[in-house]
Amino acid sequence: MSIYVVPCCDSESERGVRAQLSALTSRMTRHGPCGEYAASQPTWRLWGEERVDGAIYTVYLKKVRYHRPTRSASSESDDEISHLEWETVRVRFVKAGTVERLVEALATDDGELESTYVNVFLATYRSFAECSQVLDLLLRRYEELAMDDVLPAATDTSHQHRKTLVACLHVWLDTYPEDFRQPPHHPALQQLLAFTQLHLPGSELHSKALQKLALFSAERNGVAGGAAGGAGGGAGTCLAAGMRVPAHHTSAYRLPHVPHRHFAEQLTRMDMELFKRLVPHQCLGAVWSRRDKDRSHDAATVLATVNQFNAVSFRVISTVLVEPNLRPVDRSDILASWLDIARELRVLKNFSSLKAIISGLQSNPVYRLRKTWAMLSKEKAELFEELARIFSEDNNRWAQRELLMREGTAKFADTVGENDRQLQKLLHERGSPGVSNGTIPYLGTFLTDLTMIDTAIPDTVADGLINFDKRRKEFEVLAQIKLLQGAANAYHLPTDPMFDRWFDSVIVLDDREAYQLSCQIEPPTNPPKERRQKKIIDSNNHGHRKNDSIASTSSSNSSQFYCETDGAGNAWKRDSLERRISPTRLSHGSSSSSIPSLDVSLSSANSGQKPANGKIPGMSPAYPNARTGPDFYIIRVTYESDCVETEGVVLYKSIMLSNNERTPQVIRNAMLKLNLDGDPDGYTLAQVLPDKEMVLPANANVYYAVNTAYNLNFILRPRRNQQDEAIVNGKAKNKRT
Amino acid sequence: MREYKIVVLGSGGVGKSALTVQFVQGIFVEKYDPTIEDSYRKQVEVDGQQCMLEILDTAGTEQFTAMRDLYMKNGQGFVLVYSITAQSTFNDLQDLREQILRVKDKDDVPMVLVGNKCDLEAERVVGKQQGANLANHFNCVFMETSAKAKISVNEVFYDLVRQINKKSPKEEKKKSNIRKPICQLL
Repeated sequence: MSIYVVPCCDSESERGVRAQLSALTSRMTRHGPCGEYAASQPTWRLWGEERVDGAIYTVYLKKVRYHRPTRSASSESDDEISHLEWETVRVRFVKAGTVERLVEALATDDGELESTYVNVFLATYRSFAECSQVLDLLLRRYEELAMDDVLPAATDTSHQHRKTLVACLHVWLDTYPEDFRQPPHHPALQQLLAFTQLHLPGSELHSKALQKLALFSAERNGVAGGAAGGAGGGAGTCLAAGMRVPAHHTSAYRLPHVPHRHFAEQLTRMDMELFKRLVPHQCLGAVWSRRDKDRSHDAATVLATVNQFNAVSFRVISTVLVEPNLRPVDRSDILASWLDIARELRVLKNFSSLKAIISGLQSNPVYRLRKTWAMLSKEKAELFEELARIFSEDNNRWAQRELLMREGTAKFADTVGENDRQLQKLLHERGSPGVSNGTIPYLGTFLTDLTMIDTAIPDTVADGLINFDKRRKEFEVLAQIKLLQGAANAYHLPTDPMFDRWFDSVIVLDDREAYQLSCQIEPPTNPPKERRQKKIIDSNNHGHRKNDSIASTSSSNSSQFYCETDGAGNAWKRDSLERRISPTRLSHGSSSSSIPSLDVSLSSANSGQKPANGKIPGMSPAYPNARTGPDFYIIRVTYESDCVETEGVVLYKSIMLSNNERTPQVIRNAMLKLNLDGDPDGYTLAQVLPDKEMVLPANANVYYAVNTAYNLNFILRPRRNQQDEAIVNGKAKNKRT
Repeated sequence: MREYKIVVLGSGGVGKSALTVQFVQGIFVEKYDPTIEDSYRKQVEVDGQQCMLEILDTAGTEQFTAMRDLYMKNGQGFVLVYSITAQSTFNDLQDLREQILRVKDKDDVPMVLVGNKCDLEAERVVGKQQGANLANHFNCVFMETSAKAKISVNEVFYDLVRQINKKSPKEEKKKSNIRKPICQLL
């Protein structure tokens, strides 16, 4: 029996997601919120609810045609066709039930597989049951049915039921293999194997389960790899040999003079990898919005996507701000460059990075730079407006939703509003694109929708039965995500490791640092009290102003020991780590950002001069105009560990050092960056100078204590007793000179 | 009819979405669609005046930190929500408020501090006085609410409307409307 879906949307002809969605859910029973629609259709009638022990069904009466009607007159509506051509059938949908009943419902009364129900169930069951419980029930149900077999009656349906259960297990294994991973012993998979061994030896299901077991065991023993769900793990301190590349290569890209199309493609490639790896059910309100620290891994793939989004925004912000002395016109070139990249992202239909860039440009520290924005050409300003309009929050983000519906699974970007002059021009210039693109959505909208569904619709109905209608509603959103994931396969983008290195090398400023920088570029017109205080500190500092750290870091990729680390492929992993820390960190004033240092945009303080490898340290260029320099330095800290030494590579983390930070605070910031736990008092911090190391006193103001005549490279190491320390210093000195 | 853009902010899990749903829908409904145009719009009468409230709820996107500024820029009034059962959610608000003031470039922005989940008295860890003190420090109104038990939910939004009215009476509204497409800073 096929169940027709009454489309829940308006009657316009549509393509893209909406059309495909109804294809995908063509057997879907959307009677929840759409019940009224179903009831109002001539062939469907809501009959009522039916209660049985442990379940409530919604029952519809549906007219089914048993003769192919000859269409005599097109004006005839279905209802007017002779009654002789129709019969009425009852269709039941589970509205709510106990877990047992819900599992039973995987097969219809006739024992047929109800594929939509199976999809909804498998996509959402985690919010009301454990994997093991569902598997248990499924297998037990099979065994019960097998017992029935002894009785001569009803063996046909029983047989059919069992076939359906096996089909469900196939779907489950194929679609959600991660449910069965459960390292190290894979209990669910073992249970399934024991079952197939007994009941279905030699079956396809049995061999499939064996394959999965072999795969998981190999995973466990061999390379752990970035399998789905694996956002955890530390950003490796050591690198695979192939990842090590001389640092000066990073300066290949420098905004604003970058290939925009290429940048857009590379951002899309990064997003695409994460999006394809996204596990849709991790977006469910019950998982994502209720996750806490203990369960953060439950939503690891979502978090990875969010982190990448933030990472892109932060790069926009920092590249615009990081050179305080740029002329407004030069800074506006950087804005324009990001806008050009954003425009290409629009063509690529990558709405995630597109929104990330727009958000970065609209972030307060960038957005408030009026002089800079004023230098933007009219075309670029218009382009910004048009792109920003896509993400307007108005009318529940209508513009964005509509666009995603239309273009989601279309091959090209071709939906442009009447007022979007710049985008129209672009599409016109490009003509018809040769390659088709996938789509990467901005995930936040889905996350909000799922959170709201989870909040608004109760988990259980009156008698404590699981509200399955809620799961159907959630599945509508999950199905969209899945569809788009499928569409994302249309992207074919090459990997550029150089881009990844550039991406990793950009310093990330936290909220306050960014604002501070922004205010140095353009002082606030109406500074409230707190900010005024800052200014006073500022002006007091003039006498002590040192040469600018930004400039000095630019020359600092000196010796062969200091080289870019963290391979290209790790970007998303590391970033997720970084960002996991940072929201809570926003509160400390001056802690800061990391990422292996040596930022291209930083080095551009040298006006394009490439820092040469092996350059003698100690030749830090003094900042030309000390008075306008920032009141902080960016210092680079490495942690002394055996691993680093043997690899001959030093992993640096950049941190920001403001003028009121004392040693313990700086050590704390460094520890945070380097992912070290423990008591800051257990560590010492030393500046690496050409012929020695200067250990900072326990409570020094580091900003004034550092020797700015040299590179701001620091080494953090566990505190040992005094004598040891001296020896260590000697050792380290030998190694570095 | 005057429109009010209200932004609901706070850490994940404080019940922001519940407040919004409770206010907009009135009841926890079985048939609910978060994707339609007016899912978060509600017309109310405050002090004899019809108002259209558009609620921007950040639920589910708390971790998209880069987007907060935009929410803040667009909002006229702010609901800062914590849960009385989680100290950390209370602590997070100081930063959020500072960020709002920075983005708005003002010292005084229509705002209500809300301690949600006051039906869970047994699990309370943030005292009522603590909330009141913070509100005092913020110089804003404080309320304890329960979205679940429907306590003081509407009051939060009504109070914000009054605050917005007070700070920018009607005439100014037009001006702010013209200024709205601020993106063009030209």
